[in-house]
Amino acid sequence: MRTIEVLFVIIIILGAFMITTYFAVLPSPRQIFGTNLRELAVSALQTLDANYDLSAIVFTDASDSVWGALQKALSASLPPNIVFNLTVFNITSSGGVVTYHLVNSISNAEGDLGVGSESASCLVTSSEVTFGITPEKIGGENPRTLYILNCNDANGWWITGYTAQTLASDLHNLLSPYFQTTILVNTTSQLGLLLDGTPLAGEDLEGAVVINTCGEAVPIPSGYADQYSQDSYARYCYVLGQRVNQYNWTWVSIVGYPLYYVTNTAKFAGSQNTWGIYGMVHVGAGGLNAFLRGIDNKGYSYDGSWITGSPGVVQFSSYAFDLSNYYGLYPSPYQTATRALPNWIMSTYHLSVRPSDYVFDPVSGWIAGATFSHQGGGALTAIGLTRIPDIRVSALALLMYYRPNIYRTEFGASGASRLVILQLAQQGGT
Amino acid sequence: MAGPTIDHMVSITVLIAALLLSFAVYNQILVNAIAYERHRQVAMKAMDLMDTICLSPGNPPDWGQSNSTPLGFGLQDPESAGYTLNAFSIMRLLATGGGLVYYPKTGKWYNNISMGEGGYLLVPIADSINYTTVAELLGINGSYGFQLTITPTVSVSVSQVNPNNPLRFKVEVRGPGLALGGAILNYNLYHAIRRSGNYPQVEIFSGTTLTDSAGLAFLEFSSVDGLEDAYSIIVYAYIGGLVGVGYNFHETMETEEDIIPFIESFEEGIIILAHNYDVHFFGPPEHALFYNATFFLLTEDFELQPVHIDNSTGKVVYGQGWPYGQVQIPASQPGILLVTYRTGDDFGTVMMPWGISTLGVSITFGDEPSGNEWVATEIRQVIVNEISYQVKLAVWSLKD
Repeated sequence: MRTIEVLFVIIIILGAFMITTYFAVLPSPRQIFGTNLRELAVSALQTLDANYDLSAIVFTDASDSVWGALQKALSASLPPNIVFNLTVFNITSSGGVVTYHLVNSISNAEGDLGVGSESASCLVTSSEVTFGITPEKIGGENPRTLYILNCNDANGWWITGYTAQTLASDLHNLLSPYFQTTILVNTTSQLGLLLDGTPLAGEDLEGAVVINTCGEAVPIPSGYADQYSQDSYARYCYVLGQRVNQYNWTWVSIVGYPLYYVTNTAKFAGSQNTWGIYGMVHVGAGGLNAFLRGIDNKGYSYDGSWITGSPGVVQFSSYAFDLSNYYGLYPSPYQTATRALPNWIMSTYHLSVRPSDYVFDPVSGWIAGATFSHQGGGALTAIGLTRIPDIRVSALALLMYYRPNIYRTEFGASGASRLVILQLAQQGGT
Repeated sequence: MAGPTIDHMVSITVLIAALLLSFAVYNQILVNAIAYERHRQVAMKAMDLMDTICLSPGNPPDWGQSNSTPLGFGLQDPESAGYTLNAFSIMRLLATGGGLVYYPKTGKWYNNISMGEGGYLLVPIADSINYTTVAELLGINGSYGFQLTITPTVSVSVSQVNPNNPLRFKVEVRGPGLALGGAILNYNLYHAIRRSGNYPQVEIFSGTTLTDSAGLAFLEFSSVDGLEDAYSIIVYAYIGGLVGVGYNFHETMETEEDIIPFIESFEEGIIILAHNYDVHFFGPPEHALFYNATFFLLTEDFELQPVHIDNSTGKVVYGQGWPYGQVQIPASQPGILLVTYRTGDDFGTVMMPWGISTLGVSITFGDEPSGNEWVATEIRQVIVNEISYQVKLAVWSLKD
């Protein structure tokens, strides 16, 4: 009797084993451990087109001997155990319908390369065609002004390896096509005029974007330094927050802890920021807290508590990935954040972040890069990454926030673009 | 009583056997899964490292053209995008397999990156970046080992086929496992001659031709004697977007004397020209060598354009008390330093690439992968200053 029971147990064990082995199937080693064929294909296409040779060849007649040279070049580029299939399509557009016509295909394998193959593609353009892009101006009928703080009497902090002026120049190149008016604010006095509501060149102050290129330090006009020195200039940061709200500005902090120092090389010639940089005064964490109270129209009170966190490596949000391609800005999608803002500031200070305004996916309640807009007006774009700043991240954050369209124009005949697809597969073994 | 007892004994025995068998099978599944996971981690690390190495320039981006240690490692050319590597950053890697050379007159050790006859690339070890430093910068020191191999995609071999007059070469252009017929060849022959004075001059012969279906081409120089004349020849081969380079040389020195170029400063482009007897003494006679150094830039059309350099002529003498020669070349531009030298009626030439690509130098950097349980390999095609290279990265775990 017991033997029969044991036999039942064995049947159950064997059944469990069979079910387990049925579901616990490991992928074939080739799928996981083989060379990354997609990247190999990308690098091969880039290499062949480095001097626009690929672009030239794919626009020749399919019977031209240069296709043979391309086939040899591909064979030489790839390891002997890799087979390839290069296919070229002509792209035509008629009535808004895009059509792909096969132009030519070259391969060193017979038949299909199989499901284990990987492919990469690139779009090449005839040398006889000119492409152009026309960015939409942010603000549409009420165009916004871009102010870039380029103050020659201010120092930077956490912008190691750069100066505020070089960053301002880069930002100007990246963003000025999207704004009707771009103004470099060259002195702290000019910044003082703006804070007083005086335009510098007849531009519209309302709804402007102000980018602080001094990193964790913020320029302070002398008059403001005299008037708002309370709590180690945290009061000045409060006034900044008020102005952002009042004029519906978007204030951009490009790196680190926002508003951690104030800087004016003339006013603070004998002061240093505790790290030996003169012309700068340490405000501390109270600066950001005061700014947030200011933007929220709360009464001024000093709060010196540290509120940022250090989530470590953060990665682009899916929106950032998409728009990075759309706007042609390619900072690394993986960055290190050590001054990320906490998400509780949104409820405390009546701020909000649209899902599409997150540059990086939040990590455990820490927001490493996003634009926080206040319900009553004004916004703060805070990039809480560690130094050294990649200015493209700030530019991308702004473009994600305003979403200007890019109108692409093509001059020349239809069929000026060709799609090249390189498919690779590994021969032998699993 | 005996019946139930036997029944129990049989059932327990069968049960234990079944359990042991299933434990063994499940254990094997677990072992496979753990090994699989470890291997997957290594493969993912190999991809990450390859992307870091090929798609980031490091920090500072121009560390390849300085004498300082980088704060972040990457080989991408900071002035280009995609898979384009910096010829200078690669040159600063302390390649494995190179012999160590001590030059007493500077008191420094140099790594001799093997280039074969007629070409030298001797980099100062103190200013080179070693494997441990790179592993630390990549964050894998002690956890993963790696070996980076950077080799030209197209092999161009240049060999002399006629022993004397006229000088005749066979050029063979090949990819891995196939001959590359129809390749366009751009060649330059630098013939060392003496017109007047002590210092040799250079006579240049240039031309273009095509390889046949077997990937072969023959070059002939009727005014140069293959036995009696000293020369260097450089051939660039070009097919379907791929570019390769090959070279050859000949000297007419009756002794073992020649000139060795040592890199003194990556940042300033200072090259020391040393009498080779100061490095390895072959015995008397000991002649003074009169040299003439020329720097050539590689243009986008694969032509070599001479650039003026100061103090391009001089004399080097073996022994203490005699200074070495020194020239400064444009540090930011990849090219080739060609040094022609003579003593009496004997001539020689020697070349040194500035940036690894101009003479198609291969580099192997890192540890030896053999003997490790599992090695993941990644391959990419790259461009190094117009020349097509293949980068191979082998990665293994050090924690197994």
